[in-house]
Amino acid sequence: MKNNSSFLTKNRGILIFFAVMLLMPFLFGILEGSTPAMIWGNQGSMSKFIEGLGIEIFILALFALSFDLLFGITGLLSFGHAMFFAVAAYLTGIALKTLSMPFWEVVLLVLLAAIVQALLFSLVLPRVKGITFTLVSLGLASVFHIIVMSSDMINLTGADVGLQGVPVPAFISPATERLRFYAIALTLLVATYLFYRRFVASPTGRVCVAIRENEGRAKMLGYNTTVFKVVAMIISSLTASAAGLLHALYQPIISPAVADLGYTVTGLLIVLIGGVGTLSGAIVGAFALRLLDFTLRRFIGESASFITGAIYVIFVLFVPYGIVGTMKLRQLSTKPGWQRLWGLLKPKN
Amino acid sequence: MKMNLRKNSKAIIILAIIAAFLFVAARGMSGKDVLITVLRGFSVGSVTFLVAAGFSLIFGLLDVLNLAQGTLYMIGAYVGWTVYVRSDTFIDVLTPILLILAGFSLSNLWGRLAGLIKLAPKARKTVAWVLILTGFGLLALVLTRYPIASWDLNNFSQSPITYSYMADQGLRIIPAEVTFSKISPIVAILGLLVTSALSAFGIALLNRDESRMQTTSWRKFLLPALLLLVGVLVAVFNAQLTSWMFAMSTNWLFVIAVLVAILSGVGLGALMETTLIRPLYNRPIYQLMLTLGLGTIGLQIVQAVWGRPEFVWPKPEFFTGTGAACPATNLADLFQNHCSTVLLLGGRVRVYDEIFIPIVGIIVLILVWILLKRSRIGMIIRAGVQDRQMVEALGINVRRVFTLVFALGVGLAAFGGALAAPSSGLTPTMGERLLLSALIALAIGGLTSFPGAALGSLLVGLIQQFMIKYGQIGIPLPFTDVVFKPSPPLVPASTVLLMVVVLLILPHGLLGTKE
Repeated sequence: MKNNSSFLTKNRGILIFFAVMLLMPFLFGILEGSTPAMIWGNQGSMSKFIEGLGIEIFILALFALSFDLLFGITGLLSFGHAMFFAVAAYLTGIALKTLSMPFWEVVLLVLLAAIVQALLFSLVLPRVKGITFTLVSLGLASVFHIIVMSSDMINLTGADVGLQGVPVPAFISPATERLRFYAIALTLLVATYLFYRRFVASPTGRVCVAIRENEGRAKMLGYNTTVFKVVAMIISSLTASAAGLLHALYQPIISPAVADLGYTVTGLLIVLIGGVGTLSGAIVGAFALRLLDFTLRRFIGESASFITGAIYVIFVLFVPYGIVGTMKLRQLSTKPGWQRLWGLLKPKN
Repeated sequence: MKMNLRKNSKAIIILAIIAAFLFVAARGMSGKDVLITVLRGFSVGSVTFLVAAGFSLIFGLLDVLNLAQGTLYMIGAYVGWTVYVRSDTFIDVLTPILLILAGFSLSNLWGRLAGLIKLAPKARKTVAWVLILTGFGLLALVLTRYPIASWDLNNFSQSPITYSYMADQGLRIIPAEVTFSKISPIVAILGLLVTSALSAFGIALLNRDESRMQTTSWRKFLLPALLLLVGVLVAVFNAQLTSWMFAMSTNWLFVIAVLVAILSGVGLGALMETTLIRPLYNRPIYQLMLTLGLGTIGLQIVQAVWGRPEFVWPKPEFFTGTGAACPATNLADLFQNHCSTVLLLGGRVRVYDEIFIPIVGIIVLILVWILLKRSRIGMIIRAGVQDRQMVEALGINVRRVFTLVFALGVGLAAFGGALAAPSSGLTPTMGERLLLSALIALAIGGLTSFPGAALGSLLVGLIQQFMIKYGQIGIPLPFTDVVFKPSPPLVPASTVLLMVVVLLILPHGLLGTKE
């Protein structure tokens, strides 16, 4: 029983987040004036809108989380990370639409493809390091982007228009069963986050952190660093593929932009806003970025991406540890401050 | 020699395989097709080289992967186009830029003044920020009222597309002049100078330790005074200058446009390095992300100013002649009639695209090579690439060399943009495409190696062009009757695959050195 309570206290933040996010559609729906029963039956327009925004944020957060594991924890900067996401999205779309496979087989296929891709990258891993790895990953991903965009594959991928009309299984269709979709996406995000926390705390995760800090030393301690990198790569790829699968099910069009370098940069931006290597930063960053983008687009219009770019530069220059990282640093300095204050009040013995 | 061969055996084998592949590819075509394809390969390779060379210089010395290079290439093209097609806009913009530069170049003098003022650190900071903010605010106020003749993106008859089309037809109409109506000229000129000087003073107050000046000589006034003088002169003789530029032969105008593009690239590079990159030298990953962000911002600015649609940069007179003797068959015909095409081996070769660009590329290669190998600054750069700390320890101001190399690298990219635009046209996506080619070229040739950049660019250009040519004529697959035609999107994919293969065998590229 003690173990269980320590799990609850350790992960208080994310569990409160889970509960609040589950209540969110109901809260907004009731404020708008619809009854909980209507929301349960996917009727209220406001709650549906909030659910839609939430699903987009959860997918982004999942993608950013997988990027943070690779970049923030293991220290591998890959510019081809969007490939994991895009392959999963396109594979889901093609398998459901052209091959009309049953849903559970599609999920298995996508996860299998994720592992195969991670292994493909890991062929490259032991040979190239640092910036060269970044370039090779960029190259591999841009080959996929080019293939998706090419006119030879227009029947499968829809070329530059994107893949349209994917038949989504009825039980999680975003049109009729959006609340369920929302709950599934949220649960997946929270479960992945908890797993990642556990992974980073595990011996394997500690070695990954050691590789980020100094690969030579980790090697000298007798760890086969390539194996650990591949493990991190596989986990990251699986998560990104899950995000891609949800994306393919939720969005009416899978646009080729998700295979682009720009999408990897979005992940990077989220991680940067939230805080590199903090994991929870990925979720915070996804919320910050999506809501900011949403508001800016509403009030300013097309030039919103200019402001997003400016925010990116400002974060790189002035807030390098991101929102979560900066807060953690503050906490470190506020704790001694409180202790000092407490020491003043407490009579010395 | 024998040792060398053995050490580089992998690189030589790869090169031999590529050469054999190209040879086989060339065998499948007629002589004139081979010639044109090779020339086009050289042309694409030259432009790629200009971007890649700057990239490799910057990465070699500064360890900064400048991912904004593609955007700066694009900015070079757009700035050059503005000078060439809308010279009046260029003249109008010149005055504010010169005056602002004059104001900021006073910061050297302000440093001394700032050293004299004794203030508590906090009050100093507050005063500085108040000065900077008021300075920039007023500057923005003056700038928005300053008359600049420009195009109108929403009105098709006044859009860049129309102006380029008209210029292409030889109808260089002087657009209506914009006069000082919202602000009086004297207030505008003084306002620009004073507000920028005000912000410069604020900046000087902020960093007081660096800006202490030892001597104040009249020479320090020379640069601001010169900039001010030229700026005012341009403002006074605006109309005359505009009509002079519109009456000028397009050949000279083209030279001016390219020079202005290079200068703007150099200026932007120096500005980027000193203000944004410099604070981040101990955090390399953040530099990379910063340049990526700057690239996006630059792209957005270009889209906002020049619009999204594609338009052309008309070629100068020298390359557009269509006389009776064209296409030219000998040099005399070519120079007398300024033919746009020449006949080589029975095929028509475009002079600008397929002969002029490669020649310029080779000249730049030689010039930069001489700069690196034969000059003192080149020696410092090469030493810095080898071991930066050692150069610093020898008492050389590496910071200044950093700024110089960054400015040079960006200037080369802008030059590439201005050179390529007349043959490829201007689109907001041109930078992105070229950045990918340049990265691939560098990865193939070796990231920090200057000859590697040249070799990689040439290989990328040749392979792309051969793929495009085979996309037109098709490859007959052996043992079948099927003719395989690589579609245009597969062209970049082929070079990417080559890069991955080369990097797997030689992680440091063909000519790169191992650490």
